[in-house]
Amino acid sequence: MTTYFVAGIVVGSVYAIATLGLVLTYTTSRIFNFAHGAVAFFVAVTFYQATVNWGWNAHLAGVLTIFVFSPLLGLFLWAVLFRRLTESPSSVRLVSTIGLSVALPALAPILYPHIDAVLQPSMLWSPAHEYTIFGVHVDSNQVAVVMAAALIAVLLTVLMRATPYGLSVRAAVDSQSMAGASGVNTSFVTAVSWMIGTTLAGAAGVLLGALRGFTILQFTFLLLGSFAAMVVARMHSLTLAFAGSMAIGLLQELSASQQFQHFLEHFASPTNPIILGIRPSIPFIVMLVLLLVYNGLQEERFAIDTRSMAEPVREVVVGRDQRWWRRLLPIAVCLVGVLVAPEFLNGLWLAIVASGLALATAFLSYVVVTGDGGMISLCQITFAGIAAALAAQFATNHNVPVLLAILLGALIVVPIGMIAALPSLRLGSLYLALATLAFAQLVQNTYFQTPRISNFGQGVAVPRPGGLAGDRAFYYLLVVLFVLVALLVRNLERSTTGLNLAAMRSSETATATLGVNIVWSKFVAFGLSAFIAGIGGGLYASYAGAANMNQFDALLGAVWLAVVVTWGIRSITGALLAGLSFTIIPQLVTDHLSGRWLNLPTLFFGLGAIALARDPRGILHRATTRRHERRIRRARRNAEPADRVAEPIAAA
Amino acid sequence: MTDRSTAADRPLLEATDVTVRFGGLVALDRVPLTVPPATIVGLIGPNGAGKSTFFGVLSGLIRPRTGTVRIDGDDVTRTSPQVRARLGVARTFQRLELFGELTVRQHLVVAYRAKRRRTLFDLARALPLDLVGLGNRPAPGEDETVDRVLELLGLTAVASVSASAIGLGTGRLVEVARALASQPRVLLLDEPSSGLDARETHELADVLARLRDEEGVALVLVEHNVGMVLGLADDVTVLDFGEVIARGPAAAIRADAAVQAAYLGTGM
Ligand SMILES: Nc1ncnc2c1ncn2[C@@H]1O[C@H](COP(=O)(O)OP(=O)(O)O)[C@@H](O)[C@H]1O
Ligand SMILES: [Mg+2]
Repeated sequence: MTTYFVAGIVVGSVYAIATLGLVLTYTTSRIFNFAHGAVAFFVAVTFYQATVNWGWNAHLAGVLTIFVFSPLLGLFLWAVLFRRLTESPSSVRLVSTIGLSVALPALAPILYPHIDAVLQPSMLWSPAHEYTIFGVHVDSNQVAVVMAAALIAVLLTVLMRATPYGLSVRAAVDSQSMAGASGVNTSFVTAVSWMIGTTLAGAAGVLLGALRGFTILQFTFLLLGSFAAMVVARMHSLTLAFAGSMAIGLLQELSASQQFQHFLEHFASPTNPIILGIRPSIPFIVMLVLLLVYNGLQEERFAIDTRSMAEPVREVVVGRDQRWWRRLLPIAVCLVGVLVAPEFLNGLWLAIVASGLALATAFLSYVVVTGDGGMISLCQITFAGIAAALAAQFATNHNVPVLLAILLGALIVVPIGMIAALPSLRLGSLYLALATLAFAQLVQNTYFQTPRISNFGQGVAVPRPGGLAGDRAFYYLLVVLFVLVALLVRNLERSTTGLNLAAMRSSETATATLGVNIVWSKFVAFGLSAFIAGIGGGLYASYAGAANMNQFDALLGAVWLAVVVTWGIRSITGALLAGLSFTIIPQLVTDHLSGRWLNLPTLFFGLGAIALARDPRGILHRATTRRHERRIRRARRNAEPADRVAEPIAAA
Repeated sequence: MTDRSTAADRPLLEATDVTVRFGGLVALDRVPLTVPPATIVGLIGPNGAGKSTFFGVLSGLIRPRTGTVRIDGDDVTRTSPQVRARLGVARTFQRLELFGELTVRQHLVVAYRAKRRRTLFDLARALPLDLVGLGNRPAPGEDETVDRVLELLGLTAVASVSASAIGLGTGRLVEVARALASQPRVLLLDEPSSGLDARETHELADVLARLRDEEGVALVLVEHNVGMVLGLADDVTVLDFGEVIARGPAAAIRADAAVQAAYLGTGM
């Protein structure tokens, strides 16, 4: 028991170091860094590269990566990204850092192709010195980690409470503009906080690498353990962040102990996947429970909402002077391309494009929930996975015709989608994103692991629809179904419900005071998006021949979101291109580049999401607006002076 | 008090003892307000007096620490903004809360249709139509009402312009038009004239007076332009630091020494 206790304290300390960094950056800039774990990972593999591949002294490499490389990385990220985000709407802040969390881990293997997860270099003592204190066995590295966490907690608390820096941080938080007026240099304050935050992430990363190895999966744990601690801390309390991290680390390690396993055996057999799933799920269980019961979070939402009122309305080009054929041109070109494609493609490429079409259908669910509904969901991939798993059960184990099985699976995830919408009724967009992430991880650790679903990692077979079993026939079926679902989305957008969603997206407050039923609108958006994701997931599995849950991994969900954002999250054409590029580009890379570049597409998608988070209509729209704006400018120069309609809104 | 308000049997909207705190700050301290049908009630006070906060309480966005809000005598203090909208309360926002991706006309359409989809049954019945593409037809009476309100506020010319492309002054009028399109019985206006020029302010004042006299709408008017309030309102309440420092007919307020003191230097 004591071994687990010591291990828990050590893991909790690593979480604490990371979480304190998150608290600092969140309080100074209101940006919740979803890429915190990715930063930790990136610094950790840099340390690995320096020690193992370049042969540097481990202590020196550790000090340099943590205290020189990390702050510089923080400064760089602040200068190119976070600085511009502070004034952005919360959805842009979320999507940008999610994009970063996709890009950084993809960049690592390109920069450092020789990272071997088996080696675990430590910047501390190796081998460590062993001690026995009060009958408990500890080693010098464990002691060092715990002491470092405690020291950092104390230093940060002093920094925030008792120094001019802390005062200016609080001034900066209260009002960016007010602090600016009172002479506080907010840029300096936030830049330094990002440097410290990244340093803490880096330190946690290097320490965790020594404990658990240098694979991205371990760092997901780090990231999610500290996200849960952030919720405990209500995003801002250093003390609660420290305590929460310790508690989660302890819970996680103690749950591996014999005593706890025996306790669980009262309820189910030790090989029950739910039991096995509990340990990795502890951060998510903590997070979900707190999000549902915590009351302080409501005030947080209020504070954020009043702040967001001050955001100036983004100026967009007046009206849509584009002719209908000009608007329909991109989607028409894409569809014609897709329709004639089978004439030119060999078997492999037909399969690649067909899976892309199935994914594009699933990606339409983002158009509904995020594009139209304005809510960032990180569990669309889970809806697709659940529906695919259910479709496989119906089709293979109950002999339901496969298209009906897919439809049933998609219908069953509708109420699940509505449950996932619950946090959005009470909480702001950040907490919704966290709750959907927790939900996705929870399902992945439990339901997806059940032998009936996972089938030894191969997934349960999903047959092709009878009569359409040929690749060509099924391909055309996928095209037709994509068009049908796209029509559903377009109809929704043009209906009263769609109007209400568009209104809600700009101002939930004003929409509510008009008497629009906000709860209903959100349920519709989430429920329909779950249905669409389910259809896409079922088709994807059917084309592949099996519902393999590895393809519905919660982490991959962030990449899904990133690719859709890149092509345009409010556009049906965007979803189509996102789906196609998600399967085509990796195949191109595999065909033409060496293994080192395997993650290049993911890197592109992550960077795309960062660059285009601001523009919900994505790359395509960016290109057409440029042209359109030029035309308008030219028209204006020729016409009479602009009337008042054309002048942008001044800050209210 | 004018004849109009004494003739009313029961106030349409009534608040008593409303207290709101933000941390240590007392934004409202036991503030009362009575709004009879077909009257204009003015609410004035310096910046930070708590006027917008009070509107938050009346429209259901802020829950007061103490006090009650009644509509037609029924306690609605703990109800949501949606419920109050259904009971006939509409409001505008001091910081524009426009729907940046909708046209001016669509703002009014959203407001008008919100009234027609009230129950869960209405909503559930409409959804399949929305999904098959039949959900874009105007509701009965929609076009007439929307066109009339657009006309009333002089917005017809900009009806199909995106809200993100209109000026601040026009934005204020869109706020008022949107609230009116929901066909309210009581309309809360938070500084509707700021950003308007003198002519537009005058026109707005005319519209407000007509709403009261011809349509029987009750109005609560928060204004920086004290002259406009004193000219229009039947009854005026003056707030300062969250407390009522004066209330009564406009003429009496004009002469009140405490009000003069609160406004010293703001050029009343
Ligand atoms: N959400 C809030 N959080 C904290 N303080 C607030 C909030 N809203 C308003 N206040 C404060 O309450 C006081 C009253 O504000 P407000 O109602 O906007 O005044 P007015 O509309 O009369 O100018 C001000 O001091 C303001 O700073
Ligand atoms: Mg105000």
